[in-house]
Amino acid sequence: MIGDKWEEFAKRVKAGEDAGKVLDDLGVKRYCCRRMLLSHVEIIDEIVRFYEKGTMEKEDVM
Amino acid sequence: MDLRILEKNENSMRFVVTGISTPLANTLRRIILAEVPCMAIDDVIMIENSSVLHDEILALRLGLIPLKTDLDGYNLPEECTCNSELGCNLCRVVLTLDVEAVDETRTVYSEDLVSEDPNIVPVSSKIPIVKLAPGQKVRLEAYAKLGRGVAHAKWQPVSACAYRYVPTVEIDKDVCDNCGDCVDVCPVGVLEKTEDGVKVVNEFECTLCEDCVDACKKNPAAIKVSGNREAFVFYIESTGALPVERIITEALEIYKSKFKEFANQIAVIRNGSEKTD
Repeated sequence: MIGDKWEEFAKRVKAGEDAGKVLDDLGVKRYCCRRMLLSHVEIIDEIVRFYEKGTMEKEDVM
Repeated sequence: MDLRILEKNENSMRFVVTGISTPLANTLRRIILAEVPCMAIDDVIMIENSSVLHDEILALRLGLIPLKTDLDGYNLPEECTCNSELGCNLCRVVLTLDVEAVDETRTVYSEDLVSEDPNIVPVSSKIPIVKLAPGQKVRLEAYAKLGRGVAHAKWQPVSACAYRYVPTVEIDKDVCDNCGDCVDVCPVGVLEKTEDGVKVVNEFECTLCEDCVDACKKNPAAIKVSGNREAFVFYIESTGALPVERIITEALEIYKSKFKEFANQIAVIRNGSEKTD
C-alpha cells in the first residue's frame, strides 16, 4: 500500500534527498508503485491556494 | 503436494507449492484477486462538502482506503437477510467524517474517519483524503460493506498476487568456455564467474528471461534455463485488510464450495436426463 507514503516521500524529496533512495527506504519495490509516487503532481495545492487567498482577502475587508 | 514458506512478513508471504498443476495455481490466484471478500466503503451520504473535490471524487477516494476486515462478523450484502439498500448491522459498518479547517489549511486523513465498529477501521491512519482551506468543511456518512474484487478493485484483499515456475539453471561444463557474457547479462545475479567455470549461485531468483541463453556464443548454448511446471513460487501481498493466511484459506474454501456447486449442477442434469429417458 502506497497511500500513506506520499507525504513523507514529498517532504524528503523537497528537502533534497534522492527520490530513488527515498523510495528504497520506504520499501516501495515494484516499479509500478514507484512511478505512482515519482510522477504524482499534487494539484490540490494549486487549487486550495485560491481558497486560502479568498479567506484572507475577506478578513482584510473586515 | 508439498508447501514450503520462503519468507513471511506482516503483510506478505512468499512460498513454494510443489505437485500442483498450472490451472490449479491460476485458479487460486484468480480466486484471491476476484472472489475473496473484504470491506470497503461503498455508499457515501454527503451532508456537507465545501472542499475543492467534487462529491464523487471524494467518495471514490474513500472507497479506495483499505479497511481492516472482520470476515466472520459480517455478511455479504447480497447474502444478508435484511434485503435493504443501505444494509443492516450484519452487513454494513457506518463510518463518519466531520472535519472543518478553522484557522489554517489542513489535510483530512483516514484517521479522521470515525467507525461504529472498532474492528473495521482504515489499515493506515495516515492516508490523505483531501486538503481543506480555512472555512471549508466536510461532513459525511460512509457505508462500508463486504464485496468481491470482481465488482471493483477496492474489494481486492491483495495488492499483489502472482506465481511463477520454480526455475532450474543448468550449465554444460563441456561446452562452456567461461567467457562470462551470461554472468554480465543476468539482471538478477543468478550466475557467478569462478576459476573453474560459470557457477549457478542464486538459482531461485531466476526469472526465466533467457537473456543468458541469448548471450551465450556457443551453438547450441552452454546454458539451459527451464521452469518446473509442477512447482510454483507464489507471492501474495495483502493490503492489510486480512492476514495473508486467512486470504489463502478463504480462497480455498471458496474453491471448494464452487466445486461442490458444480458437482450439484451435474447431478441435477444427470437426474433430469434420466427422467426424460
